[in-house]
Amino acid sequence: MKYVILGNGIAGVCAAEAIRTLDLEGEIVMVGDETFLPYSRPMISYVLDGSEPHDKLPIRPADFYESMKIKPVLGQRAVSLDVENRRVQLADSTCIDYDRLLIATGADPRPLRAAHMDLGGIFYLRTESHVRQQVAALSTARRALVLGGGLVGLKAAYALLKRGLEVTLLITSGYPLSLQVDEIAGKMVLDELLRRGLKVLVGRSVRAFEGNGVVRAAVTDTGSRLPCDMVIIAKGVLPSRDFIPRQHIHVDLGVVVDDHLQTSAAGIHAAGDVAESVDISRGCRWVNALWPEAAVQGRIAGLNMAGRPVVYPGSMSRNVLRVYDLDVLTLGHANPGPEEGCRIVWSGGPGKGRYRSLVLKDDILVGAVLVNQVEQGGVLCALMENRVPLRLSTSRLMAPDFNFACLLP
Amino acid sequence: MKEVIVHPKRCVGCMQCMPACATAHSRTRHLVSAVLETPQPKPRVHVGAGRFNEGFPNRCRHCDPAPCQLTCLTGAIYRHAGTQTVMIDPDRCINCASCAMACPYGVIRFHEDPLGPPGRAVAVKCDNCVARVAEGQIPACVEACKVGALTYEERDTAMKRQTLAVARSMSSGAGEPVLPPGVGLLRTMKESQVQLLKG
Ligand SMILES: Cc1cc2nc3c(=O)[nH]c(=O)nc-3n(C[C@H](O)[C@H](O)[C@H](O)COP(=O)(O)OP(=O)(O)OC[C@H]3O[C@@H](n4cnc5c(N)ncnc54)[C@H](O)[C@@H]3O)c2cc1C
Ligand code: SF4
Repeated sequence: MKYVILGNGIAGVCAAEAIRTLDLEGEIVMVGDETFLPYSRPMISYVLDGSEPHDKLPIRPADFYESMKIKPVLGQRAVSLDVENRRVQLADSTCIDYDRLLIATGADPRPLRAAHMDLGGIFYLRTESHVRQQVAALSTARRALVLGGGLVGLKAAYALLKRGLEVTLLITSGYPLSLQVDEIAGKMVLDELLRRGLKVLVGRSVRAFEGNGVVRAAVTDTGSRLPCDMVIIAKGVLPSRDFIPRQHIHVDLGVVVDDHLQTSAAGIHAAGDVAESVDISRGCRWVNALWPEAAVQGRIAGLNMAGRPVVYPGSMSRNVLRVYDLDVLTLGHANPGPEEGCRIVWSGGPGKGRYRSLVLKDDILVGAVLVNQVEQGGVLCALMENRVPLRLSTSRLMAPDFNFACLLP
Repeated sequence: MKEVIVHPKRCVGCMQCMPACATAHSRTRHLVSAVLETPQPKPRVHVGAGRFNEGFPNRCRHCDPAPCQLTCLTGAIYRHAGTQTVMIDPDRCINCASCAMACPYGVIRFHEDPLGPPGRAVAVKCDNCVARVAEGQIPACVEACKVGALTYEERDTAMKRQTLAVARSMSSGAGEPVLPPGVGLLRTMKESQVQLLKG
């Protein structure tokens, strides 16, 4: 049996490890664009803020490929996939045949369309190489611009503030984290960052950069000029799936997978940021581009590829953001639209130091936002993943002393 | 292999296990000196109140596979090969709290710890007292529990005892199984008190 894994991120790594628990002999080839050892992608923002050194990024030992009997093919991307002949073609035109294929190519930063993107000092924040360049650029940077108020944008802004830069955050929607949290929690995050010296401009985007070799200013859609010597673009990510033939494999936003993480083509699985699975709390297909999902999907895809059928129960959005003294935890469908027929209950808010919001559909918990005291988040998460009808009152679920024992009969 | 087994019905909520745990995870390992340490050692077992205000000693179940281990963003959570204990390496932990979302029991806490890197908060949870066990002692929470709500034994032994108790209670003429009379009384009192307050 010959397994080919495209992508050496956490999904690819967990898949290879799972395959090896069942198949010690089969050939495993891993194709990866990045040549660095498998590493913790979320940790790069900690390298940017200076709390962790770059050399702590790897999450597997230096002999990972060797000890797992994996043949690494690193430093280039797969550029095309021939489903009928079970063959992958790489950028340098070499071809690799497979019996089982895993697409674990993750995601790339959503590109910004603006003039003079080639100036120095303009970065995305996705890879260890990005952060290495950013850290090198810090010594000459004073004024930074961060584009995007999502999780990565906020982490970047927080990191640069901690490094002592003057930071301006540009967000297109009305408040930060608008995709993850409701307005109240978004406002609490914003207040905390403003209090620490962050400047925020809402409803604005950048149309061009100016500079001479390196960036000196950004020009917004309203025509104003924002001086800066460092820019981090964080406008979300897009699944890396350009090389996939859509006539053979069903691709929506991500590569669509079934409950065994198989794509619409037999023998081809997908896992991680590139995959689109059913979201448990939303009840529809969704790309949940998250580390825990990527790890679990990689593992389950690997087991299935090696011949042990294992069901993937579906994905769920979940995240924690810790900035200064504020912890924000979001779970599931935390910010539904009014037309979705959900009931939202909340307590606390700005000035209270604590906020809770629970989203219910009938008597099932489908979303939650916790600001501070987030330790019991996992208990709520388990209720959501298992879709257990609530027996406890929502006020009890939101109470400061809520704990696992409250769920016991 | 022996492990800590929780018998929730027996817990009287006295919380003795908590200071015992904190002491076991302090630098000096003596209650009197432990309370004077900075950072303060904190318990890794948490007695929570249930719906009827009854106690429940909540500690890490060392699940297999462990959701926190799969979730950890940095590979800081691993399984101790000899004892199968799920451990957190405080020097790899970045205190991101991702594991808080993964633990269905809510047993992970985040704070500076006497046994972790100085001046930094990290994720902290039960380590089955691996240090004490290596020295031939039993886990501190079990040693402290005076009502048998926490025992340290082979899982098989505990299961057999439980099966036997259930079987006995099913056979004719037997009453309710084996709760010490005091504990049973206390629980009934707590339940009725809460019902009264509600009513
Ligand atoms: C700054 C930052 C902070 C984050 N914080 C969190 C967090 O707190 N919590 C959380 O859950 N998630 C977080 N994430 C997201 C998390 O990192 C991703 O969900 C996770 O890394 C996805 O893993 P993956 O293996 O699916 O894909 P990736 O990690 O993207 O790995 C895919 C690999 O495949 C390579 N590749 C792409 N195309 C090809 C191709 N055609 N051929 C060969 N190789 C290819 C890529 O270069 C990459 O190395 C964060 C991400 C960033 C950038
Ligand atoms: S807080 Fe520490 S142990 Fe928990 S997921 Fe983050 S890095 Fe891992």
